Amino acid sequence: MTGPGHSATAPIPAEPGASAAAAYRAGIFDPTVLSACISCGFCLPVCPTYAQTKLENSSPRGRITLMRALEEGRLDEDDPTLQHQAGLCLGCRACETVCPAGVKYGELLEQWRDHQWRGRHTPPIAGALRAGVRVTPALAVGGLLRGAARTTGAPEPDRPHLMLGCLERSLYPKVSRAALRLIPDADVPEGQGCCGALHAHNGGSREAAEMAQRLGERMPGTIVSTSGGCAAYLAHQLGHDRVKEVGEFLLSRWDENPASMPPLRPILVDGRPARVGVKDSCQLRNGLGVFAQSRALVGRVAELVELPSAGVCCGGAGTYSMLQPEMSRAVLDPTLTQARDLGLDYLVSLNVVCTRQLASGVRRAKLPVRVLHLVELLELAL
Amino acid sequence: MNAASSGPRAAHLDPDTVAQLRRIVGDSHVLLTDGDVEPYSRDATPLFRARPDAVVLPATTSEVSAILRLATERGIPVVPRGAGSNLAAATVAERGGIVMVLTRMTAIKEISADELLAVVEPGVTTAELADTAALQGLLYAPDPGSRTVATVGGNVAMCAGGLRGLKYGVTRNYVLGLEAVLPTGEVIRTGGRLWKDVAGYDLTRLLTGSEGTLAVITEVTVALLPMPAVARTGVAYFDSLSDAGRAVAGVIRDGLVPATLEFLDNRCVNAVEDFAHLGLDRQAGALLLFGDDGTPEAVERSLGIMAATCERVGARGVTMARDVAESEALLTARRCSLPALARLAPITLLEDATVPRPKIAEMVDRIEAISARHQVVCATFGHAGDGNLHPTIVFDPADGDVRHRAEAAFGEIFAAAMDLGGTITGEHGVGAAKRGYLQARLGADQMALLRRLKAAFDPAGILNPGKLGS
Repeated sequence: MTGPGHSATAPIPAEPGASAAAAYRAGIFDPTVLSACISCGFCLPVCPTYAQTKLENSSPRGRITLMRALEEGRLDEDDPTLQHQAGLCLGCRACETVCPAGVKYGELLEQWRDHQWRGRHTPPIAGALRAGVRVTPALAVGGLLRGAARTTGAPEPDRPHLMLGCLERSLYPKVSRAALRLIPDADVPEGQGCCGALHAHNGGSREAAEMAQRLGERMPGTIVSTSGGCAAYLAHQLGHDRVKEVGEFLLSRWDENPASMPPLRPILVDGRPARVGVKDSCQLRNGLGVFAQSRALVGRVAELVELPSAGVCCGGAGTYSMLQPEMSRAVLDPTLTQARDLGLDYLVSLNVVCTRQLASGVRRAKLPVRVLHLVELLELAL
Repeated sequence: MNAASSGPRAAHLDPDTVAQLRRIVGDSHVLLTDGDVEPYSRDATPLFRARPDAVVLPATTSEVSAILRLATERGIPVVPRGAGSNLAAATVAERGGIVMVLTRMTAIKEISADELLAVVEPGVTTAELADTAALQGLLYAPDPGSRTVATVGGNVAMCAGGLRGLKYGVTRNYVLGLEAVLPTGEVIRTGGRLWKDVAGYDLTRLLTGSEGTLAVITEVTVALLPMPAVARTGVAYFDSLSDAGRAVAGVIRDGLVPATLEFLDNRCVNAVEDFAHLGLDRQAGALLLFGDDGTPEAVERSLGIMAATCERVGARGVTMARDVAESEALLTARRCSLPALARLAPITLLEDATVPRPKIAEMVDRIEAISARHQVVCATFGHAGDGNLHPTIVFDPADGDVRHRAEAAFGEIFAAAMDLGGTITGEHGVGAAKRGYLQARLGADQMALLRRLKAAFDPAGILNPGKLGS
């Protein structure tokens, strides 16, 4: 043994270069949040991308180590691993639910992408979508043409306001119509705008927060969203007391006032109750802690079958399926296998991007499973 | 730093070495760029970081062997690594070279109910092994707090302990046999499937806890036990940690060897409660988690005695977990103590001083006195039943000379532990973090023997250089 090893009071060895490194901070991250991680690795077993690669740099702990290297100047943003990993993270925040230190990984990821995806580094699809959903009139026309719920003019303060969702109104217009049948007293205010969730997760968190505030001002009172991602982001910005995901809204309303619940018939397939699995919305489950409500509602109209991977990201993840198609499919595959093995008739989604991802996976795997939004399933029972 | 002073040290790997490594494991399993190796520059130990020159991920024993032969031939340091969850900076590549990551070797080769054993590759996590064994009604007893993350290979290399140490012992008590690759490339098999086998030196035990300095473990045969019929847990609250320590001494005097006796001081209780929301008593000075497993009658008797002892020593309150889920939630919360403490300050320095069981209360008092004298915030939790304490100093490095005060406090805590007949580390290992205290524990003659043993296994000194036996 060499060096100071001979003394029982040897100092705790200094981190090589620690004093010099600690002096420089790039100011990209909130230092309190960034320093909260102690690298225990408890997040590794729940990270879908780590499960695929088994590489430290695609784990939450490894990504935080990368963020620290960026913040402390050991790596710059042109580093190819930083570029790759900022995009390879699903942003599902499963790591936050198991983190005993309470690291707010979702916030760190937003700060990372705000910096990493500036200007020329913005992935083209993310940039295009961020720009696209800002064009509210175009979306409104798209939704109208495809038959989404009609807007009802100015919001009335005492009625719950149904949010149409930028993507959902065009891609899945039936969802808002089904929601209105279940919440007949809801209004659908005009000129809602976008909640900003997509921007926040794609490198535009400041702009996103402003969009959320504006949407909140345009729709005073309770806002109901059929999209888990929008609901979680808006609830984070405006308060969970004002913003409700449609499942939690329906369940609490029906539980508080059973007379408000319409008669629901059991959904049958071949004369037996339909077998229905729920696939959670990550932002809803991990960000807002909402996951039991959808299951309770499904249980009222069908046989609820719990998918082992229900809480694992489907790989849709906002723009992810377009930015990272290969990983996106790999992350989804276990769910498809389970849906087949469990003999599901329906797979319930709680978010527009998940619906799209699940539907394309089901088509690719040629499964006899229908993917429906929760409110579309409930509508079948009316 | 002293690690840099002697022995092999890699400059950047030369192109031919890189080509050889790629030929052995395939291009995608050799990581070289700054960004790719950065996440392997540290493990779960704060304040230690060193950039390896390459990260190599072999998938087979023969790949491990080929890498080690190359490294010995060219004098390149090799640091074996599992999940990197160790708390002694044992996997930090202080001299650069290759970090060899074994997480691709994840086969559970066999679970034998007839022989009560399992054979696994080193990259299987402890929880995967335990869960797979449980499907056949078998128990893998070692239960380190990091079980969902840590690998079996890492557990063996560090001789991991955990929450069941008192009744069931630690990793070394369950390792029956190993396949390991010597730094010079030979593949050896030590021990085997037998409980009785005294042919030769007990190299299985020598490699268990050798911290990656003697050989790279590529297969592990572990002993399993029949799963106990029931397991139950209770919680007792005390005014102080030393009161809880006295209850532990009382339980052992009662003739019990229960599965679980864990305690947490008030700071730990609050940090854990912030994460787990179990409704723990935040006002209590200390919490004692007690539990046992076995037949229903034996467990009921054991828990009854422990509850009575706690009350006799002056517990503020005693409650029993209502069901398995509640028991499991309590144990899970206890396992999270260390990372939960990270909520208190940016740096969480954890130690592992261990004393003979009857000295627990005295050691707790000494830790409190030392922390007060050096004006540091120390939260203490630990495996009270086996005398294994985890005093944890939390601080903000921006706070003046706090780091030096923490160092001074730990120096005195180690000295106090040894003064009471204890040791500097019960279960986390020496690594780079406690290297400076090792000679005080072992003495010069034993340190010299460690070096001779190391040289016999690793003549070129490439394996985890600067750590144990260097």
